[in-house]
Amino acid sequence: MLSLLLLLPLVGFLLLLLWPGKPAPGLMRQVALVVLSLQVVWSVVVLLAFDPSRGGMQLSESLPWIPGLGLTYSLGVDGLSLPLVLINGALSLVAVICTRDISQRPRIYFALVLLISAAVNGAFLAQNLLLFLLFYELELIPLWLLISVWGGAGKAFAATKFLIFTAVSGILILAAFLALAVLRGSVDFSFLPVDGEQLALGSQLVLLAMLLVGFGIKIPLVPFHSWLPDAHTQASTPVSVLLAGVLLKLGTYGLLRFGLGLFPEAWAVMAPWLAIWAAISVLYGSLAAIVQRDMKRMVAYSSVGHMGSILLAAAAATPVSLLGAEFQMVSHGLISALLFLLVGIVYRKTGTRDLDVLRGLLNPEKGLPFTGTLMILGVMASAGMPGMAGFISEFLVFRGSVATFPAATLLCMVGSGLTAVYFLLLVNRVFFGRLAITPVNDPLRHSRLDVRLEPVAPRETIPATGLALAVVGLGLVPALLGHLSESTTTAMARGASLLQALLAGGVG
Amino acid sequence: MPVISELLTRSGGLPEASELQRRLLAGETLLAESANHLVQVVDVLESYGVVLDAYSRNLIYQAETQFLNPLPIFKYLDGDHSPAKIWRHLIHDRINFEYAEYCMRAMLWHGTGGLDAYLDSASFQASCREIIGHKTRRDPLLALLHPLFSEFLPELIRTAATTHALGQFWRVMSDLFLDLAAAERRGTVTSIEEVVVFIQAGLVAAAANPITYGVTIADRPFWVLPPEAGLTFLMDVAVPYVEAVFLRGTPFLGTVSFNAQARQIPDDQGDFAYGALYADPLPTMGAGIPPSLLMQDMYRHLPERLHAWYRSQGRGEGDVRVKICMSFQKAMFCVTNAAIRGTFPHALATGAPAERAANEAHAAAWAARLGKARTDCLDVMEDATEPFAEALAGQA
Repeated sequence: MLSLLLLLPLVGFLLLLLWPGKPAPGLMRQVALVVLSLQVVWSVVVLLAFDPSRGGMQLSESLPWIPGLGLTYSLGVDGLSLPLVLINGALSLVAVICTRDISQRPRIYFALVLLISAAVNGAFLAQNLLLFLLFYELELIPLWLLISVWGGAGKAFAATKFLIFTAVSGILILAAFLALAVLRGSVDFSFLPVDGEQLALGSQLVLLAMLLVGFGIKIPLVPFHSWLPDAHTQASTPVSVLLAGVLLKLGTYGLLRFGLGLFPEAWAVMAPWLAIWAAISVLYGSLAAIVQRDMKRMVAYSSVGHMGSILLAAAAATPVSLLGAEFQMVSHGLISALLFLLVGIVYRKTGTRDLDVLRGLLNPEKGLPFTGTLMILGVMASAGMPGMAGFISEFLVFRGSVATFPAATLLCMVGSGLTAVYFLLLVNRVFFGRLAITPVNDPLRHSRLDVRLEPVAPRETIPATGLALAVVGLGLVPALLGHLSESTTTAMARGASLLQALLAGGVG
Repeated sequence: MPVISELLTRSGGLPEASELQRRLLAGETLLAESANHLVQVVDVLESYGVVLDAYSRNLIYQAETQFLNPLPIFKYLDGDHSPAKIWRHLIHDRINFEYAEYCMRAMLWHGTGGLDAYLDSASFQASCREIIGHKTRRDPLLALLHPLFSEFLPELIRTAATTHALGQFWRVMSDLFLDLAAAERRGTVTSIEEVVVFIQAGLVAAAANPITYGVTIADRPFWVLPPEAGLTFLMDVAVPYVEAVFLRGTPFLGTVSFNAQARQIPDDQGDFAYGALYADPLPTMGAGIPPSLLMQDMYRHLPERLHAWYRSQGRGEGDVRVKICMSFQKAMFCVTNAAIRGTFPHALATGAPAERAANEAHAAAWAARLGKARTDCLDVMEDATEPFAEALAGQA
């Protein structure tokens, strides 16, 4: 059943590559749309077959692949991965919907998007460390190509930077997994937690540190974040949607699944430091966002800030905070995808994303009023306004972490408050005031009064409207996601707290 | 970041004040001569004429039948209290008479010219006393209010007087603009120059029309603005109207809010420059701002020729009110042009140095005020002429 979630996009990928003749770009897009729609439908089928009341892996499939290497094709889904699988299908679909007028190599472009979708599903569903790594690496090259071929003016630099950073990430994770196998003395790459009898705490800490840096690059956490703003700035809108909405979640998913899941003892030891790291990451991301002049870089830095709070939740590892981490992954996926879509619309219509140039786009007659309305909704959700997804996730993260790490949580809350600062700066400059698209140092700015922007066609805002509805829906009915994930996150937290108690007892 | 596309922003012409002065003294029109401009001005003035007709009727109705009514709930219904009319009013299928009142209040507040001088005179106060004395004997509410707030009823009477005077002014202007449209259709007006001449002739013809206003209270007639006050159309109503609505305006309820405490508005009311000639055609947030109300009213009565052209420009129906406002500003520059020409102290062709100097001073004073206005609408937009020429050719 789960294999179909991989097979569907893979078959689509092959279909597009092997399509005979020179098919029109529109046809390629339609094929990708059909395949991804089927993937979304099948994800929903999996959702219906999933029993949320059980904590462990479900719908498992296992097939020995290369037993000598310990590589088995083993899939499973739980409350942690299922929402991410759903959001992957939905955002891949959104990415293809919002790809229009692609003139350059449409066949490869859509094929790569499908390949990424398959790889991400594979990484979320894999029940074998090597299999996870295989899929984790598999999405790297297509994304590199998507940035370096279909990106902006500085795409070569940004794509190479992305490649180097994430390759290092992959190497570190691979090294950690291999070292684990070597130290355990078995080629079993299944997801079994490591305890003190198998591996000394010192070795565990080293391996966990490697994983933390590896996934910290992907999330990204400060100081490994610098590839992200560059990649976003140069990537096209659909690629940014995929990158922010789905691919960053591989990092946080890995952190929860492998950091917390494989090394609970070492995790408990490092947790206070992780909380401090999270606070630094949140504050740095938010403060850096305040000074950005490019809308896309600002949203990218806000990602750094918001993803940092997932580390805080993971460090606290309480049932509430882990549920909050799951919520934050989903809501950040939806909100950042929404914001990138809207920035993409602004860029397409005005040719710029510069905060010093854009003014008053909310103008009802000649601006982009509906885009601006959705943008205000998006930034309100991102700033954690009640009634929207951001509030639920941040509330759960902070509520779940404050008892364990009060200082770090308070600092993260300050960072979260700064979200309102930079996004209000953005909205105030770009959307309020008199419509104008002139740099402030333009000597003719007072005479450039008549701005002619093309209107945004309703169909262009359909994906963003859908995401906005999802953001509000999740904020109003958070129980839908909570119901799905609670058993899993509670079980994960229980495992972690049990070990912490044992450790405390052992020391005392 | 890519360079801002030239297509997205247009640099307005913004002629200098010296250029405006030159055009005025040379007898040229302020608005550039073009077929496109002619149709925009004539058609927008035609719809304005229709709207002014409704404004004028309502203002006169208000002044005559809602006189000294402190709660004029049905003042916009023109006396028609049928359920259908009330329903159309409630669902806003109506003219925005609020805009007319806004103009009236701007005139009342800026208070320039002979009308305002008369409203502060002793004879006006005497007739106020007489009217109020007669009215309060029959109206217990006013009898209670007047001793408590002794300035309230005289102010209501001043408001009513200004309302009636503006109604009379617009009556003339409405007919003038509708006649202009008919003349253009007959082919007797074929250029911007002829539009200005036509309006100037209309203003001059009505210049000496007396402005009077009488009310009847319990079968007894009273003069509010008596013939003896000697108020005339041009100098006592038209010029104050241009001053208050075209030039000075009000720094609130507009497209941009100004903060008086932050000294964003001039100390001297005479230096205000928030009028129609300075207005930004782009609405900036907020509903119900007065220029938008007028544009909405004109939109309801646009001639099809102009409407078809608007549909072919920019965002079509999406930004039609902005385009109406831009055309309206062109038209208002023509009306101002006619007023300036009509008030030159001497003939432009005069050879006497003293007379020439007087004319130059007159033109310079106007040019200095207009130089800060939305003069970017005066020049021809190259890309706008082509589709319009086609539209005209299609109709011919």
